Amino acid sequence: MLTDLWNLFIAFLRASNLGFGGGPAIIPLIQAEAVERYQWMTNTEFTDAIAVANALPGPIATKIASYIGYKVASWPGVIVAIAATILPTIIILIILGNLLVKYSKSEGLKAMLTGVRPIITALLVVVAYEMAVEAFQINEFIDFFTVVIAIGAAAGLYFWKAHPVLLIVLSMVAGYLIF
Amino acid sequence: MKTLWDLFIAFFRASNFSFGGGPAAIPLVQAEVVNKYKWLTNEEFSDILAISNSLPAPIATKLAGVIGYRVKGLLGATVAVIGVFLPTTLIVVFLGGIIINYADSPALQAMLKGVRPVVAVLLAQTAISMGIKALKDKPAWCLAIIALIIMLFFPSVHPAFLVVISMLLGYFLFKK
Repeated sequence: MLTDLWNLFIAFLRASNLGFGGGPAIIPLIQAEAVERYQWMTNTEFTDAIAVANALPGPIATKIASYIGYKVASWPGVIVAIAATILPTIIILIILGNLLVKYSKSEGLKAMLTGVRPIITALLVVVAYEMAVEAFQINEFIDFFTVVIAIGAAAGLYFWKAHPVLLIVLSMVAGYLIF
Repeated sequence: MKTLWDLFIAFFRASNFSFGGGPAAIPLVQAEVVNKYKWLTNEEFSDILAISNSLPAPIATKLAGVIGYRVKGLLGATVAVIGVFLPTTLIVVFLGGIIINYADSPALQAMLKGVRPVVAVLLAQTAISMGIKALKDKPAWCLAIIALIIMLFFPSVHPAFLVVISMLLGYFLFKK
């Protein structure tokens, strides 16, 4: 039991903290640990875990950690796998965040942040572009409704300042009815 | 107590209505912490996003940890992070077996198809609101365009590398 928990901790620590680029970048690393190294599951079972994770909202890595953690070592497994996934970087970030606040008056730091903000904008543009490519795959006439939904959502944001959660719920209903 | 509850609700909503993994949660977190609860300004949010992006691990839990800590210390960080992962963790553990049967169902696929355009629009909207603050002069525009070209044509270049380089450049370009 303790060995299982330790292995879970190490596996998710490695997978998550070497996975730069958010959740999706972590998937192959988790597979390497869970399927190939520790052989907790077959490739097919791992694919099922991904399917479950993708059908639900929220970050992908903690969902897979829950699934595999529970399978290997029940609730203690879930806790250990999630802690290994998220704790190390959160602790580092809180320390970095404190430094950021402490030196927020410094001209040097202000200049560095002025330099980094355009890059964050560009990063978001790229993510938005990638999501758009996936969202607007137009193969037949009915797929044009994805564009209609997008225009509706943009109008909702600008004219009525709609809460994003409302738009998401409405678009799922629309998707269900149209597609 | 009220603030802790607000933190929980804010990150619960942001995470559990975001389809498409961590990045899809960014506009929702922004809507909660900047627009609704006003814990941070747009610039502060953008700075936190910058340092979060330069470290590994899921983006939603990182944002929850840092912003929760900013608002209400360690307790705030804990509550916000729990709001992000607990609901889906419970669903995965208790309903994982059932969901497998429905993961490929046409109804779920139709709903996800409906939600993807909205996710793209929300991300674009976040990019625009950040751009308005970030792109105030020509050097900033140049940095953004160069970064965009690098990311689109050389996807193997790691974003953390761009973040670090841009901070160094910023130090020399913008320091008064």
